[in-house]
Amino acid sequence: MTTEIDATVAAAVESDITAMLRTMLAEDGLDDAEISRETTFHDDLELESIDLVTLAGSLREHYGDQVNLALFIADLELDEIIALTVGELVDYVAASLHTAGQV
Amino acid sequence: MAKIRTGEITTHVQRLPAAKAPADGGETPVVVFVHGLLTDSLASYYFTLGPAFAAAGIDVIMYDLRGHGRSDRPATGYRLESFVGDLVGVLDALGETRRVHVVGNSFGGTIATAFAAWHPDRVATVTMIESEPPVAEWTRHMADGLSDAKTQLAREEVIGWISANHGAHTARLSRGASRILATTTLAEEVPAGRVIDDGLDALDGCPVLAIFGDESGLSAQVPELEAKLMSCRTVVLTEQGHSVLVERTEETQDLILRWVREHTLAEAVR
Repeated sequence: MTTEIDATVAAAVESDITAMLRTMLAEDGLDDAEISRETTFHDDLELESIDLVTLAGSLREHYGDQVNLALFIADLELDEIIALTVGELVDYVAASLHTAGQV
Repeated sequence: MAKIRTGEITTHVQRLPAAKAPADGGETPVVVFVHGLLTDSLASYYFTLGPAFAAAGIDVIMYDLRGHGRSDRPATGYRLESFVGDLVGVLDALGETRRVHVVGNSFGGTIATAFAAWHPDRVATVTMIESEPPVAEWTRHMADGLSDAKTQLAREEVIGWISANHGAHTARLSRGASRILATTTLAEEVPAGRVIDDGLDALDGCPVLAIFGDESGLSAQVPELEAKLMSCRTVVLTEQGHSVLVERTEETQDLILRWVREHTLAEAVR
């Protein structure tokens, strides 16, 4: 059961994050970019670190304080940040929600 | 995300509140982080020192310099006094009445020092990471460096060389830097602003922590800073170039956290 719930949560989170990214990319005129779990923020979407600050704000607004992108990224090395994928972020958010007992 | 009106522009500000109250019941210290020129933004702190400082019980303020990150990029208005004016504007808009610990990386350290010299009553301490104070010599370094960057980064073959030797990430940052230089008077105005006297008397009474890498030319200032400043601590990290904040994040964090704690205690005793 838990696995099924986790999969549902992950799918919902992926859909939320994809929507947030589409909004951000639309501001740069890049709304047709393909976004999947394997998509990297840096190379595929050409987002800069300041864009991740904006995303951190959207995530916090949407999910509350238990989703703290600043803390998550502060633990990563620079090359890991550059290689960060949408799927890794989705998993982090889903895990944070799970830990916080919201699901 | 907060946008704050500072002078003729809008400045992007991010805050991380202290995660705990001071154990001694005293005032919560506040740190303002100031980033560097061209390839930089508040993200350099948001994903590094910011969360750690908030966790340590410090109120954290980060903002994007004019022309950078999510702050406005006016075509003109890039003298040092405008950058310092934005910092004052941010603190005023946030209603900040505490003395602040200002931490600046590279050009951000120059802004921090100018802020301390021109607004001594608002500053608790200054930390410069790989920075020079805004003296006449600094303006000459900046004029040469920025003029060179403006010419070189506008050349496609230079960007190609950067991409081949330093990777696509650095090449993209360099293109971003070139855009600021091409569309604003930053390169001409930064070195043309107000300076402080060579003797650094304007910093009398302000505790200064200066961190350098030994492989960067800037560490040559150490004897002069120690001779001229009344209250100064210098730290030189070995086998390290200019990118101290990125490459030696943990040591930098520990040094500044200890520095802020020491001066918060000193303030409480006074």
